[in-house]
Amino acid sequence: MKTDFYFVGLGGQGIIKLSEMIAHYGMEIGEKVKFYKEVGLAQRGSSAHGEVRIGDVFGSRIPPFSADVMVGMEFSEVLKGIKFIKPEGIVILSDRKIYPIDMMSEIEKYPKDEDIINLLNRQKVKLIQIKAAEIAEEIKFPKAENIILLGVLAEIISLDKVVLIKVLKQHVPGRFIEQNLIAFDRGVDIAKKYCN
Amino acid sequence: MKKLLTGNEAIAEGIIESGVEVVSGYPGTPSTEVITSLIPMAKDLNIRVEWDINEKVALEIAAGAAWAGKRAMVTMKMSGLNVAADSLCSIAYSGFTGGLVIYVADDPGTAAGMTEQDSRYCAKSMIIPMLDASNQQETLDFTKIAFGVSERIGGPVFLRLTSEVAHVASDVQYEESIFKDKSTPFFERNIAKYSKAKALFCMNQHQEALDRLEEARKIADLEIEIDKIHYEGKLGVIVSGSPWMNLEEAISKYKLKLSWLKLGMIYPFSQKTIKSFLDKVDKVLILEELDPFIEEEILKIAGQYEKKIKIMGKLDNTLPKVGNYSFDIVKKALETFLEIKLENEVSQEIVEKAKNLEVSRPSSFCAGCPHRGTYYALNQAIKQLKYKKEDIIVSGDIGCNFLGANPPFNSCWSEVSMGASIGIAQGLKLAGIEKPVIATLGDGTFFHSGIAPLINAVYHNIPLTIIILDNGWTAQTGFQENPGTVDLNEGKKNKKIELIDLVKGCGVKNVFLTDPYQYKDTLEILKEAIKYKGVSVVISRRECALQASKRKVSLPKYTVNIEKCIGCRKCIKELACPAMSFSFSKENKKGVMQITSACFGCGLCKSICPTGAIEVIANED
Repeated sequence: MKTDFYFVGLGGQGIIKLSEMIAHYGMEIGEKVKFYKEVGLAQRGSSAHGEVRIGDVFGSRIPPFSADVMVGMEFSEVLKGIKFIKPEGIVILSDRKIYPIDMMSEIEKYPKDEDIINLLNRQKVKLIQIKAAEIAEEIKFPKAENIILLGVLAEIISLDKVVLIKVLKQHVPGRFIEQNLIAFDRGVDIAKKYCN
Repeated sequence: MKKLLTGNEAIAEGIIESGVEVVSGYPGTPSTEVITSLIPMAKDLNIRVEWDINEKVALEIAAGAAWAGKRAMVTMKMSGLNVAADSLCSIAYSGFTGGLVIYVADDPGTAAGMTEQDSRYCAKSMIIPMLDASNQQETLDFTKIAFGVSERIGGPVFLRLTSEVAHVASDVQYEESIFKDKSTPFFERNIAKYSKAKALFCMNQHQEALDRLEEARKIADLEIEIDKIHYEGKLGVIVSGSPWMNLEEAISKYKLKLSWLKLGMIYPFSQKTIKSFLDKVDKVLILEELDPFIEEEILKIAGQYEKKIKIMGKLDNTLPKVGNYSFDIVKKALETFLEIKLENEVSQEIVEKAKNLEVSRPSSFCAGCPHRGTYYALNQAIKQLKYKKEDIIVSGDIGCNFLGANPPFNSCWSEVSMGASIGIAQGLKLAGIEKPVIATLGDGTFFHSGIAPLINAVYHNIPLTIIILDNGWTAQTGFQENPGTVDLNEGKKNKKIELIDLVKGCGVKNVFLTDPYQYKDTLEILKEAIKYKGVSVVISRRECALQASKRKVSLPKYTVNIEKCIGCRKCIKELACPAMSFSFSKENKKGVMQITSACFGCGLCKSICPTGAIEVIANED
């Protein structure tokens, strides 16, 4: 058995932190783990992605059309994962959009929502769209978009939450643990509603 | 016990378990994290760990420690090995009494930019054994083996990784026990061994280096069995390094029946092992990234056989010489080799469509990056001196400062190697380029390799303008310190070197200091420097904004006065600052310009706004 996770977003969003926590989760449950993170040149705003493979795996990178789950933190960046998500895989997608600086005066060039959704549907994925930006605003913790998605992920694919919370606590600064746990729980709740 | 470790972290773990006492190096992707992960632990472990001025010096330091009988490691990327090569070659001839392992990281697929140089040829040309690790567990094991072999043969050993092993993390079994060396440092005076003063010394040393090579092979074969072999049929794969992981994945996924030989020591080769493998197979696929280093050797051995062995690899174009080997590439090569289809082709149409929709995100300077001000002022200075931008060559250099080649600045024309901007600029002048030629480089790059070419330019009196973009850190590789870094860490004895004194000491008469956050001053200084008919150096000094924010340096932030903003977007088009955001709204047809919380407060946008619409946010206190 194996589970391949593909995480995609932009530098500064916490997407790598999210991947790292899943990799450590894999270690905690005693499985074999492979964890790759794309280290870009620019610190913020350039594409970033992480790949975590848990279980019976050898290669360090996810082969095309093999990822069981994809988590996208920026709407259009999910396009980069389309060649990795397997047909009928799960896609958890935040509706957050970030325009590159050279597109600012021509925002209409940003791909249309329906074009992206269409491609995902053609891959027959199970698509779960999350208003992560809005929820982060609601709980007054804008940095927690990644943790909200972690909560969603945990619920949707039934990760062991006790183990995951232990890992979460090790990966966020002490003074932010409470806020992160709130964000995590919100993610779990939203996912529950989604499943019903 | 197990830990999640990248290849680089596994080397750090291997250093600790091997009782290494001195670790030196120069940052370079993908090799940097060995030292960055050791630095916080160094004091407790009583290991001397340091970033040095360049790879050559770092190598000499590690070799000195090995001459005194100790275990030492030096780390670098493949480009750095070129810098260290002169000394390394000489040291490999001499040998030593301690243990010296040179970690070099190659970068097939150029995750970090630079050449796809294959450092395995250096092992051959320098007469140094080389181990090539194929995953993170092996990296830790090979680090320990490398020290053992180095100490036994009394000569250096290369440990080579590629990006895919260096940067990926996996579960690694580690040990609590640590090798302890209790010997007192001792360096024996032996001119015949440690100098090159006579032809006889050199030739004897050459022979000894060759003997050490043979000894290393013997140890690897008889005591360690470093090359792994598996027999299952007449079809065989010879593999080393990171492609092993994808081969293993393919074997498991498609339940393939293959014989394989995985080489751990890739120089010198084990003739015996390779021959015994070739005895049992008829057809061989060679799986190695970059050049056909192993393939050439296998062809040589196969040529001595009477039976015909078909060799497939790069030389018959089954596999590429360029780029890293993804699972797909390995799978396709196996399909050609086995003459079967492993998987039905998935339609690439959706992938193509997705690719066409992707948003391109060109890398730009960070919010508050001081380089933005320098390049903006440089472009304006060129314009105001009535030159056309396309007439003024700006010779760029390695590091963050080369983002000045990207839009909207489009300043730099070329990038070669550490410090090369100055030498290249001199050559352009000697070729007869009459208009001013400008070289730009960062502080770390200047310390690394910029001093010698600067002295050369002064000595030959070549009219040049050299701009040192001094942000105080070796920033691009992840903010390592260099001799110009502000010394902030308590208890450190490092002495800061003042760039102005250093440049003056190189004989430069016309040295300017400017702050790139002060646009008008910087512009005037650059104009004056470019007009000067000799070597002029402008030090454009302001700390890296990311490092400054980490140190809690706080400047007043800026905001846009919507009443005054005419929506011309000059700021966003000419500065490309990630802290700026622009959007159209129904109420406001000219568009809404905003400065986000990412603003660091450099104030450059305020300096260039034609309507004075950018204002300081009044201090809330």
